[in-house]
Amino acid sequence: MSRFERIRSEAVAAGKAFLRRRTAVFFTFFFPVLLIAVFAGLIRTDAGGGLFARPTGYYLPGYLGVVVLFTPLSRLSSTVARHREGNRFEKLATTPLTSTEWLLAHVLITAGLVAAASAVLVLALVPLATFALSPLLVPFVLLGAVLFGGIGAILGRLADSQDGAISMSNGLALPLLFLSETFVSPDLFPAWFRPFTALSPLTHFARGVRAATYTGENALPALGLLALLTVVFFAVGAYALPTTD
Amino acid sequence: MHAVAANGVHKEYGDTTALAGVDLEVDAGEAFALVGPNGAGKTTFVRCLTGTEPVDSGSVELLGGAPGEADPQRVGLLPQSFSPAGRLTAREVVTHYAGLYDAARDPGDALDTVGLAPDRRDEHYENLSGGEQRRACVAATLVNDPDVLFLDEPTGSVDPAGRRALHAALSELVAGGTTLLLTTHDMAEAERLADRVGLLSSGELVAVGAPSELVAAHAGGPSLLVETDADVGEIAGFDAESADGGVRLRGVARDDVADVVRALDESGVAFDALEWSEPGLEDAYLALTGESE
Repeated sequence: MSRFERIRSEAVAAGKAFLRRRTAVFFTFFFPVLLIAVFAGLIRTDAGGGLFARPTGYYLPGYLGVVVLFTPLSRLSSTVARHREGNRFEKLATTPLTSTEWLLAHVLITAGLVAAASAVLVLALVPLATFALSPLLVPFVLLGAVLFGGIGAILGRLADSQDGAISMSNGLALPLLFLSETFVSPDLFPAWFRPFTALSPLTHFARGVRAATYTGENALPALGLLALLTVVFFAVGAYALPTTD
Repeated sequence: MHAVAANGVHKEYGDTTALAGVDLEVDAGEAFALVGPNGAGKTTFVRCLTGTEPVDSGSVELLGGAPGEADPQRVGLLPQSFSPAGRLTAREVVTHYAGLYDAARDPGDALDTVGLAPDRRDEHYENLSGGEQRRACVAATLVNDPDVLFLDEPTGSVDPAGRRALHAALSELVAGGTTLLLTTHDMAEAERLADRVGLLSSGELVAVGAPSELVAAHAGGPSLLVETDADVGEIAGFDAESADGGVRLRGVARDDVADVVRALDESGVAFDALEWSEPGLEDAYLALTGESE
Protein backbone atom coordinates (compact mmCIF):
# COMPACT_ATOMS: atom_id res chain seq x y z
CA MET A 1 0.00 0.00 0.00
CA SER A 2 2.68 2.48 0.93
CA ARG A 3 4.73 1.57 -2.14
CA PHE A 4 1.62 2.18 -4.24
CA GLU A 5 1.08 5.53 -2.51
CA ARG A 6 4.67 6.62 -3.17
CA ILE A 7 4.41 5.74 -6.86
CA ARG A 8 1.02 7.42 -7.07
CA SER A 9 2.33 10.60 -5.44
CA GLU A 10 5.32 10.77 -7.80
CA ALA A 11 3.18 9.97 -10.85
CA VAL A 12 0.55 12.59 -9.95
CA ALA A 13 3.23 15.27 -9.53
CA ALA A 14 4.91 14.23 -12.80
CA GLY A 15 1.60 14.16 -14.65
CA LYS A 16 0.53 17.59 -13.43
CA ALA A 17 3.92 19.10 -14.19
CA PHE A 18 3.77 17.73 -17.75
CA LEU A 19 0.15 18.60 -18.51
CA ARG A 20 0.81 22.23 -17.55
CA ARG A 21 3.54 22.54 -20.17
CA ARG A 22 1.23 23.31 -23.05
CA THR A 23 3.86 23.17 -25.77
CA ALA A 24 4.97 19.71 -24.70
CA VAL A 25 1.38 18.46 -24.57
CA PHE A 26 0.55 19.96 -27.96
CA PHE A 27 3.48 18.38 -29.74
CA THR A 28 3.01 15.01 -28.02
CA PHE A 29 -0.39 14.70 -29.67
CA PHE A 30 0.24 16.80 -32.77
CA PHE A 31 3.31 14.76 -33.66
CA PRO A 32 1.41 11.61 -34.77
CA VAL A 33 -1.03 13.68 -36.80
CA LEU A 34 1.88 15.46 -38.46
CA LEU A 35 3.46 12.09 -39.23
CA ILE A 36 0.38 10.85 -40.99
CA ALA A 37 0.08 14.06 -42.97
CA VAL A 38 3.66 13.69 -44.19
CA PHE A 39 4.11 9.96 -44.64
CA ALA A 40 0.61 9.04 -45.75
CA GLY A 41 1.01 11.54 -48.56
CA LEU A 42 4.30 9.97 -49.58
CA ILE A 43 2.92 6.46 -49.56
CA ARG A 44 0.04 7.38 -51.83
CA THR A 45 2.20 9.24 -54.32
CA ASP A 46 4.92 6.59 -54.49
CA ALA A 47 2.87 3.48 -55.05
CA GLY A 48 4.84 2.49 -58.12
CA GLY A 49 8.03 1.63 -56.23
CA GLY A 50 10.75 3.09 -54.03
CA LEU A 51 10.87 3.58 -50.26
CA PHE A 52 7.13 3.53 -49.62
CA ALA A 53 6.11 0.91 -52.15
CA ARG A 54 4.40 -1.47 -49.72
CA PRO A 55 0.65 -1.46 -49.03
CA THR A 56 -0.46 1.13 -46.51
CA GLY A 57 -1.01 -1.31 -43.64
CA TYR A 58 2.65 -2.32 -43.75
CA TYR A 59 3.65 1.03 -42.30
CA LEU A 60 1.49 1.02 -39.18
CA PRO A 61 4.48 -0.22 -37.08
CA GLY A 62 6.43 2.73 -38.45
CA TYR A 63 3.84 5.29 -37.41
CA LEU A 64 3.42 3.73 -33.99
CA GLY A 65 7.16 3.25 -33.70
CA VAL A 66 7.75 6.97 -34.00
CA VAL A 67 5.46 7.70 -31.05
CA VAL A 68 6.67 4.73 -28.99
CA LEU A 69 10.31 5.63 -29.63
CA PHE A 70 10.52 9.42 -29.59
CA THR A 71 8.14 10.36 -26.77
CA PRO A 72 9.62 8.13 -24.01
CA LEU A 73 13.21 8.76 -25.09
CA SER A 74 12.91 12.55 -25.10
CA ARG A 75 10.59 12.73 -22.08
CA LEU A 76 12.57 10.48 -19.75
CA SER A 77 15.98 11.73 -20.81
CA SER A 78 14.99 15.38 -20.33
CA THR A 79 13.14 14.62 -17.10
CA VAL A 80 16.19 12.92 -15.63
CA ALA A 81 18.39 15.81 -16.77
CA ARG A 82 15.94 18.33 -15.27
CA HIS A 83 15.88 16.42 -11.98
CA ARG A 84 19.67 16.43 -11.90
CA GLU A 85 19.86 20.17 -12.55
CA GLY A 86 17.39 20.81 -9.71
CA ASN A 87 19.14 18.46 -7.26
CA ARG A 88 15.88 16.55 -7.01
CA PHE A 89 17.47 13.12 -7.02
CA GLU A 90 19.59 14.11 -4.02
CA LYS A 91 16.45 14.94 -2.08
CA LEU A 92 14.57 11.87 -3.30
CA ALA A 93 17.49 9.66 -2.24
CA THR A 94 16.71 10.50 1.38
CA THR A 95 12.98 9.72 1.04
CA PRO A 96 11.42 6.25 1.02
CA LEU A 97 10.95 6.48 -2.78
CA THR A 98 13.36 4.08 -4.51
CA SER A 99 14.86 4.70 -7.92
CA THR A 100 12.80 1.80 -9.31
CA GLU A 101 9.61 3.38 -7.97
CA TRP A 102 10.61 6.76 -9.38
CA LEU A 103 11.22 5.33 -12.83
CA LEU A 104 8.03 3.28 -12.67
CA ALA A 105 5.98 6.39 -11.83
CA HIS A 106 7.47 8.32 -14.73
CA VAL A 107 7.22 5.53 -17.31
CA LEU A 108 3.61 4.94 -16.28
CA ILE A 109 2.79 8.57 -17.05
CA THR A 110 4.77 8.33 -20.28
CA ALA A 111 3.08 5.05 -21.24
CA GLY A 112 -0.29 6.70 -20.70
CA LEU A 113 0.67 9.58 -22.98
CA VAL A 114 2.09 7.23 -25.61
CA ALA A 115 -1.03 5.07 -25.46
CA ALA A 116 -3.26 8.13 -25.92
CA ALA A 117 -1.14 9.46 -28.81
CA SER A 118 -1.08 5.98 -30.38
CA ALA A 119 -4.86 5.76 -30.12
CA VAL A 120 -5.16 9.10 -31.90
CA LEU A 121 -2.80 7.86 -34.58
CA VAL A 122 -4.54 4.49 -35.10
CA LEU A 123 -7.97 6.10 -35.27
CA ALA A 124 -6.70 8.64 -37.79
CA LEU A 125 -5.21 5.83 -39.90
CA VAL A 126 -8.30 3.62 -39.97
CA PRO A 127 -9.82 5.34 -43.02
CA LEU A 128 -6.44 5.71 -44.73
CA ALA A 129 -4.79 2.31 -44.35
CA THR A 130 -5.72 -1.36 -44.35
CA PHE A 131 -4.76 -3.21 -41.17
CA ALA A 132 -6.33 -5.34 -38.46
CA LEU A 133 -7.14 -3.75 -35.12
CA SER A 134 -5.50 -6.32 -32.87
CA PRO A 135 -5.80 -6.17 -29.06
CA LEU A 136 -2.11 -7.03 -28.98
CA LEU A 137 -1.43 -3.44 -29.99
CA VAL A 138 -2.04 -2.45 -26.37
CA PRO A 139 0.74 -4.54 -24.80
CA PHE A 140 3.10 -3.76 -27.67
CA VAL A 141 2.63 -0.01 -27.23
CA LEU A 142 2.83 -0.11 -23.44
CA LEU A 143 5.91 -2.34 -23.36
CA GLY A 144 7.57 -0.21 -26.02
CA ALA A 145 6.91 2.95 -24.01
CA VAL A 146 8.40 1.42 -20.86
CA LEU A 147 11.39 -0.01 -22.74
CA PHE A 148 12.31 3.26 -24.39
CA GLY A 149 11.57 5.09 -21.16
CA GLY A 150 14.28 2.96 -19.55
CA ILE A 151 16.69 3.85 -22.35
CA GLY A 152 15.69 7.51 -21.94
CA ALA A 153 16.62 7.34 -18.26
CA ILE A 154 20.05 6.00 -19.21
CA LEU A 155 20.53 8.84 -21.70
CA GLY A 156 19.46 11.37 -19.05
CA ARG A 157 22.17 10.02 -16.78
CA LEU A 158 24.81 10.21 -19.52
CA ALA A 159 23.90 13.72 -20.71
CA ASP A 160 25.26 16.78 -18.94
CA SER A 161 22.21 19.01 -19.50
CA GLN A 162 18.62 19.00 -20.70
CA ASP A 163 19.72 20.19 -24.14
CA GLY A 164 22.29 17.43 -24.28
CA ALA A 165 19.71 14.84 -23.26
CA ILE A 166 17.30 15.86 -26.02
CA SER A 167 20.12 15.93 -28.58
CA MET A 168 21.23 12.48 -27.51
CA SER A 169 17.72 11.07 -27.64
CA ASN A 170 17.10 12.50 -31.12
CA GLY A 171 20.52 11.34 -32.27
CA LEU A 172 19.72 7.80 -31.16
CA ALA A 173 16.07 7.71 -32.21
CA LEU A 174 16.36 8.93 -35.79
CA PRO A 175 18.75 6.25 -37.11
CA LEU A 176 17.05 3.62 -34.96
CA LEU A 177 13.71 4.46 -36.56
CA PHE A 178 14.90 3.82 -40.09
CA LEU A 179 17.07 0.78 -39.31
CA SER A 180 14.40 -1.15 -37.42
CA GLU A 181 12.08 -2.53 -40.12
CA THR A 182 9.59 0.28 -39.63
CA PHE A 183 9.34 2.41 -42.77
CA VAL A 184 12.24 0.74 -44.56
CA SER A 185 11.67 -2.95 -45.30
CA PRO A 186 14.65 -5.23 -44.61
CA ASP A 187 15.05 -6.23 -48.29
CA LEU A 188 16.21 -2.69 -49.02
CA PHE A 189 19.24 -3.18 -46.75
CA PRO A 190 22.39 -4.96 -47.92
CA ALA A 191 22.36 -8.64 -46.94
CA TRP A 192 25.29 -8.27 -44.55
CA PHE A 193 23.46 -5.57 -42.58
CA ARG A 194 20.12 -7.33 -42.13
CA PRO A 195 21.14 -9.40 -39.05
CA PHE A 196 22.14 -6.18 -37.26
CA THR A 197 18.58 -4.85 -37.38
CA ALA A 198 17.70 -7.50 -34.79
CA LEU A 199 19.90 -5.62 -32.28
CA SER A 200 17.38 -2.78 -32.21
CA PRO A 201 14.53 -3.24 -29.72
CA LEU A 202 12.34 -1.29 -32.12
CA THR A 203 12.76 -4.05 -34.70
CA HIS A 204 10.98 -6.50 -32.41
CA PHE A 205 8.26 -3.96 -31.76
CA ALA A 206 7.81 -3.46 -35.51
CA ARG A 207 7.88 -7.19 -36.30
CA GLY A 208 5.33 -7.92 -33.58
CA VAL A 209 2.95 -5.10 -34.50
CA ARG A 210 3.20 -6.03 -38.17
CA ALA A 211 2.51 -9.68 -37.38
CA ALA A 212 -0.52 -8.72 -35.30
CA THR A 213 -2.02 -6.18 -37.67
CA TYR A 214 -0.79 -6.90 -41.20
CA THR A 215 0.76 -10.29 -41.98
CA GLY A 216 -1.38 -12.35 -39.60
CA GLU A 217 1.65 -14.21 -38.29
CA ASN A 218 2.11 -15.20 -34.64
CA ALA A 219 3.06 -12.00 -32.77
CA LEU A 220 3.64 -13.61 -29.39
CA PRO A 221 7.36 -14.48 -29.85
CA ALA A 222 8.08 -10.83 -30.65
CA LEU A 223 5.94 -9.76 -27.70
CA GLY A 224 7.88 -12.09 -25.39
CA LEU A 225 11.21 -10.79 -26.62
CA LEU A 226 10.01 -7.20 -26.25
CA ALA A 227 8.89 -7.94 -22.69
CA LEU A 228 12.30 -9.38 -21.86
CA LEU A 229 14.09 -6.35 -23.32
CA THR A 230 11.71 -4.09 -21.42
CA VAL A 231 12.64 -5.71 -18.11
CA VAL A 232 16.35 -5.42 -18.89
CA PHE A 233 16.30 -1.76 -20.00
CA PHE A 234 13.96 -0.74 -17.20
CA ALA A 235 16.29 -2.32 -14.64
CA VAL A 236 19.37 -0.67 -16.16
CA GLY A 237 17.53 2.65 -16.34
CA ALA A 238 16.56 2.47 -12.66
CA TYR A 239 20.10 1.51 -11.71
CA ALA A 240 21.50 4.42 -13.74
CA LEU A 241 19.55 7.06 -11.85
CA PRO A 242 21.94 9.19 -9.80
CA THR A 243 21.69 10.28 -6.18
CA THR A 244 23.72 13.48 -6.57
CA ASP A 245 25.32 15.59 -9.27
CA MET B 1 23.45 8.81 21.42
CA HIS B 2 24.90 10.65 18.45
CA ALA B 3 22.40 11.38 15.72
CA VAL B 4 25.22 11.99 13.27
CA ALA B 5 28.85 10.90 13.51
CA ALA B 6 31.73 11.22 11.07
CA ASN B 7 35.11 9.68 11.66
CA GLY B 8 38.05 10.59 9.45
CA VAL B 9 35.88 11.26 6.43
CA HIS B 10 37.96 11.75 3.32
CA LYS B 11 36.60 12.59 -0.10
CA GLU B 12 38.33 13.53 -3.33
CA TYR B 13 37.09 14.55 -6.76
CA GLY B 14 39.93 13.89 -9.15
CA ASP B 15 42.87 15.94 -7.92
CA THR B 16 40.72 18.03 -5.60
CA THR B 17 40.47 17.09 -1.94
CA ALA B 18 36.97 18.03 -0.82
CA LEU B 19 37.20 16.55 2.67
CA ALA B 20 40.47 15.76 4.42
CA GLY B 21 39.70 13.55 7.39
CA VAL B 22 36.73 15.25 9.02
CA ASP B 23 35.60 14.12 12.48
CA LEU B 24 32.29 15.29 13.90
CA GLU B 25 29.65 14.10 16.32
CA VAL B 26 26.25 15.75 16.59
CA ASP B 27 24.05 14.69 19.49
CA ALA B 28 20.37 13.93 19.17
CA GLY B 29 18.37 17.11 19.63
CA GLU B 30 21.37 19.35 18.96
CA ALA B 31 21.44 22.17 16.42
CA PHE B 32 24.75 22.29 14.58
CA ALA B 33 25.76 24.87 11.99
CA LEU B 34 28.48 24.24 9.47
CA VAL B 35 30.08 27.41 8.15
CA GLY B 36 32.95 28.00 5.80
CA PRO B 37 34.01 29.72 2.60
CA ASN B 38 32.64 28.72 -0.78
CA GLY B 39 34.23 25.46 -1.87
CA ALA B 40 35.21 24.52 1.69
CA GLY B 41 33.44 21.16 1.39
CA LYS B 42 30.21 21.86 3.28
CA THR B 43 27.86 20.42 0.67
CA THR B 44 30.09 17.42 0.09
CA PHE B 45 30.13 16.78 3.83
CA VAL B 46 26.32 16.96 4.03
CA ARG B 47 26.10 14.54 1.11
CA CYS B 48 28.47 12.13 2.84
CA LEU B 49 26.46 12.38 6.07
CA THR B 50 23.18 11.68 4.27
CA GLY B 51 24.69 8.87 2.22
CA THR B 52 23.97 10.44 -1.15
CA GLU B 53 27.73 10.58 -1.77
CA PRO B 54 29.99 7.69 -0.74
CA VAL B 55 33.09 8.50 1.30
CA ASP B 56 36.53 7.52 -0.02
CA SER B 57 37.72 6.59 3.45
CA GLY B 58 36.56 7.02 7.01
CA SER B 59 33.10 6.25 8.28
CA VAL B 60 29.75 7.93 8.76
CA GLU B 61 26.88 7.04 11.05
CA LEU B 62 23.38 8.41 10.76
CA LEU B 63 20.93 7.48 13.53
CA GLY B 64 23.28 4.76 14.71
CA GLY B 65 23.89 3.00 11.41
CA ALA B 66 25.25 3.49 7.93
CA PRO B 67 23.49 6.41 6.19
CA GLY B 68 22.05 4.10 3.54
CA GLU B 69 20.41 2.01 6.24
CA ALA B 70 18.83 4.92 8.13
CA ASP B 71 15.05 4.97 8.14
CA PRO B 72 14.19 7.64 5.52
CA GLN B 73 11.03 8.40 7.46
CA ARG B 74 13.31 9.89 10.15
CA VAL B 75 15.52 11.96 7.86
CA GLY B 76 14.88 15.24 6.04
CA LEU B 77 17.22 16.86 3.53
CA LEU B 78 17.06 20.17 1.72
CA PRO B 79 19.87 20.08 -0.83
CA GLN B 80 21.65 23.22 -1.93
CA SER B 81 20.02 24.79 -5.02
CA PHE B 82 17.11 22.37 -4.79
CA SER B 83 14.46 23.18 -7.37
CA PRO B 84 11.21 21.20 -7.69
CA ALA B 85 8.94 21.21 -10.75
CA GLY B 86 8.17 24.81 -11.68
CA ARG B 87 4.60 24.15 -12.82
CA LEU B 88 3.51 22.65 -9.50
CA THR B 89 2.06 24.99 -6.91
CA ALA B 90 3.78 25.40 -3.56
CA ARG B 91 1.00 23.32 -1.98
CA GLU B 92 1.42 20.60 -4.61
CA VAL B 93 5.19 20.48 -4.08
CA VAL B 94 4.68 19.85 -0.37
CA THR B 95 1.83 17.40 -1.04
CA HIS B 96 4.06 15.51 -3.46
CA TYR B 97 6.77 14.96 -0.85
CA ALA B 98 4.21 14.25 1.88
CA GLY B 99 2.91 11.43 -0.30
CA LEU B 100 6.29 9.71 -0.29
CA TYR B 101 6.17 9.00 3.47
CA ASP B 102 4.10 6.58 5.50
CA ALA B 103 3.19 9.39 7.87
CA ALA B 104 3.40 13.09 7.12
CA ARG B 105 2.07 16.39 8.34
CA ASP B 106 -0.75 18.14 6.58
CA PRO B 107 0.88 20.16 3.75
CA GLY B 108 -1.01 23.27 4.83
CA ASP B 109 0.38 22.88 8.33
CA ALA B 110 3.92 22.57 7.00
CA LEU B 111 3.41 25.73 4.94
CA ASP B 112 2.05 27.48 8.02
CA THR B 113 5.22 26.51 9.86
CA VAL B 114 7.48 28.20 7.34
CA GLY B 115 5.24 31.24 7.09
CA LEU B 116 4.30 31.08 3.41
CA ALA B 117 1.29 33.34 2.97
CA PRO B 118 -1.96 31.46 2.23
CA ASP B 119 -2.61 33.47 -0.94
CA ARG B 120 0.75 32.37 -2.37
CA ARG B 121 0.37 28.64 -1.79
CA ASP B 122 -1.57 27.94 -4.98
CA GLU B 123 0.84 29.87 -7.20
CA HIS B 124 3.07 27.84 -9.48
CA TYR B 125 6.47 27.38 -7.89
CA GLU B 126 8.17 29.16 -10.79
CA ASN B 127 6.06 32.27 -10.12
CA LEU B 128 7.06 32.55 -6.46
CA SER B 129 9.82 34.89 -5.31
CA GLY B 130 13.17 33.35 -4.38
CA GLY B 131 12.38 33.59 -0.68
CA GLU B 132 8.92 32.06 -1.11
CA GLN B 133 10.40 29.23 -3.13
CA ARG B 134 12.92 28.48 -0.43
CA ARG B 135 10.20 28.45 2.20
CA ALA B 136 8.15 25.99 0.16
CA CYS B 137 11.26 23.79 -0.12
CA VAL B 138 11.83 23.88 3.63
CA ALA B 139 8.17 22.95 4.15
CA ALA B 140 8.64 19.97 1.80
CA THR B 141 11.68 18.95 3.85
CA LEU B 142 10.05 19.00 7.27
CA VAL B 143 6.71 17.57 6.14
CA ASN B 144 7.69 14.11 7.45
CA ASP B 145 8.63 15.46 10.90
CA PRO B 146 12.17 14.11 10.63
CA ASP B 147 14.32 13.27 13.64
CA VAL B 148 17.38 14.56 11.79
CA LEU B 149 17.06 17.54 9.50
CA PHE B 150 19.82 18.51 7.06
CA LEU B 151 19.44 21.96 5.53
CA ASP B 152 22.05 23.08 3.01
CA GLU B 153 21.84 26.90 2.98
CA PRO B 154 18.14 27.07 3.83
CA THR B 155 17.69 30.83 3.98
CA GLY B 156 19.66 32.06 0.99
CA SER B 157 17.52 34.66 -0.87
CA VAL B 158 14.92 34.72 1.92
CA ASP B 159 13.96 38.23 3.08
CA PRO B 160 14.44 39.22 6.75
CA ALA B 161 10.80 38.60 7.71
CA GLY B 162 10.81 35.21 6.05
CA ARG B 163 14.14 34.38 7.60
CA ARG B 164 12.79 35.24 11.02
CA ALA B 165 9.77 32.97 10.42
CA LEU B 166 12.05 30.14 9.31
CA HIS B 167 14.35 30.62 12.28
CA ALA B 168 11.40 30.48 14.65
CA ALA B 169 10.13 27.31 12.96
CA LEU B 170 13.54 25.65 13.12
CA SER B 171 14.06 26.67 16.75
CA GLU B 172 10.68 25.14 17.59
CA LEU B 173 11.64 21.90 15.84
CA VAL B 174 14.91 21.72 17.74
CA ALA B 175 13.11 22.47 21.01
CA GLY B 176 10.88 19.53 20.16
CA GLY B 177 13.87 17.21 19.88
CA THR B 178 14.76 17.39 16.19
CA THR B 179 18.46 17.25 15.39
CA LEU B 180 19.38 20.05 13.01
CA LEU B 181 22.48 20.26 10.85
CA LEU B 182 22.55 23.28 8.60
CA THR B 183 25.13 24.94 6.42
CA THR B 184 25.08 28.70 6.09
CA HIS B 185 27.10 31.75 5.15
CA ASP B 186 25.05 33.85 7.55
CA MET B 187 26.96 34.05 10.84
CA ALA B 188 24.03 35.67 12.62
CA GLU B 189 21.91 32.71 11.57
CA ALA B 190 24.48 30.24 12.86
CA GLU B 191 24.81 32.17 16.11
CA ARG B 192 21.06 32.34 16.56
CA LEU B 193 20.12 28.76 15.68
CA ALA B 194 23.07 26.58 16.57
CA ASP B 195 24.17 25.07 19.85
CA ARG B 196 27.54 24.48 18.21
CA VAL B 197 29.20 25.76 15.10
CA GLY B 198 31.85 24.03 13.01
CA LEU B 199 34.11 25.90 10.65
CA LEU B 200 35.09 23.94 7.57
CA SER B 201 37.99 25.32 5.57
CA SER B 202 39.71 23.60 2.67
CA GLY B 203 38.10 20.31 3.60
CA GLU B 204 39.17 20.42 7.24
CA LEU B 205 37.07 21.14 10.30
CA VAL B 206 39.34 23.77 11.82
CA ALA B 207 37.19 24.76 14.80
CA VAL B 208 34.13 23.41 16.58
CA GLY B 209 32.37 24.87 19.58
CA ALA B 210 29.52 26.92 20.94
CA PRO B 211 29.32 30.30 19.21
CA SER B 212 30.39 32.08 22.42
CA GLU B 213 33.40 29.74 22.79
CA LEU B 214 34.52 30.35 19.23
CA VAL B 215 34.16 34.09 19.66
CA ALA B 216 36.10 34.07 22.92
CA ALA B 217 38.86 31.91 21.51
CA HIS B 218 39.30 33.38 18.06
CA ALA B 219 37.53 36.72 17.59
CA GLY B 220 39.73 38.90 19.77
CA GLY B 221 38.37 41.50 22.21
CA PRO B 222 35.96 44.36 21.70
CA SER B 223 37.07 47.24 19.53
CA LEU B 224 36.45 50.93 19.04
CA LEU B 225 36.22 52.47 15.59
CA VAL B 226 37.27 56.12 15.55
CA GLU B 227 36.00 57.89 12.45
CA THR B 228 38.77 60.35 11.71
CA ASP B 229 41.03 61.56 8.94
CA ALA B 230 43.91 62.08 11.37
CA ASP B 231 47.00 59.92 11.36
CA VAL B 232 46.80 58.17 14.70
CA GLY B 233 49.42 55.79 16.09
CA GLU B 234 48.47 54.99 19.65
CA ILE B 235 45.77 56.34 21.94
CA ALA B 236 45.40 55.76 25.64
CA GLY B 237 47.65 52.74 25.41
CA PHE B 238 45.73 51.11 22.56
CA ASP B 239 47.41 50.56 19.21
CA ALA B 240 45.43 51.97 16.29
CA GLU B 241 45.12 50.05 13.06
CA SER B 242 43.83 51.44 9.82
CA ALA B 243 40.17 50.67 9.13
CA ASP B 244 37.51 51.71 6.68
CA GLY B 245 36.55 55.30 7.65
CA GLY B 246 39.21 55.80 10.33
CA VAL B 247 41.22 53.74 12.79
CA ARG B 248 40.26 50.76 14.93
CA LEU B 249 41.50 50.30 18.48
CA ARG B 250 41.50 46.64 19.56
CA GLY B 251 40.80 45.44 23.11
CA VAL B 252 38.92 48.56 24.21
CA ALA B 253 36.46 47.58 26.93
CA ARG B 254 33.24 49.57 27.31
CA ASP B 255 34.68 51.25 30.43
CA ASP B 256 37.78 52.33 28.50
CA VAL B 257 35.85 54.43 25.97
CA ALA B 258 35.81 57.54 28.18
CA ASP B 259 39.62 57.33 28.57
CA VAL B 260 40.01 57.09 24.79
CA VAL B 261 37.79 60.12 24.21
CA ARG B 262 39.78 62.09 26.77
CA ALA B 263 43.06 61.07 25.11
CA LEU B 264 41.75 62.04 21.69
CA ASP B 265 40.79 65.49 23.02
CA GLU B 266 44.12 65.98 24.73
CA SER B 267 46.00 65.05 21.56
CA GLY B 268 43.84 67.33 19.43
CA VAL B 269 42.58 64.54 17.18
CA ALA B 270 39.32 65.52 15.56
CA PHE B 271 36.84 62.72 14.97
CA ASP B 272 33.31 62.47 13.57
CA ALA B 273 32.02 59.48 15.48
CA LEU B 274 32.94 56.54 17.67
CA GLU B 275 31.60 53.01 17.23
CA TRP B 276 32.25 50.45 19.93
CA SER B 277 31.51 46.82 19.16
CA GLU B 278 31.90 43.44 20.70
CA PRO B 279 33.30 40.72 18.46
CA GLY B 280 30.92 38.25 16.88
CA LEU B 281 31.08 34.93 15.17
CA GLU B 282 31.92 36.66 11.93
CA ASP B 283 35.13 37.99 13.49
CA ALA B 284 36.02 34.48 14.63
CA TYR B 285 35.22 33.18 11.13
CA LEU B 286 37.41 35.82 9.48
CA ALA B 287 40.24 35.17 11.90
CA LEU B 288 40.09 31.41 11.41
CA THR B 289 39.81 31.49 7.64
CA GLY B 290 42.48 34.14 7.29
CA GLU B 291 40.06 36.28 5.30
CA SER B 292 39.94 39.98 6.00
CA GLU B 293 37.41 42.67 5.46
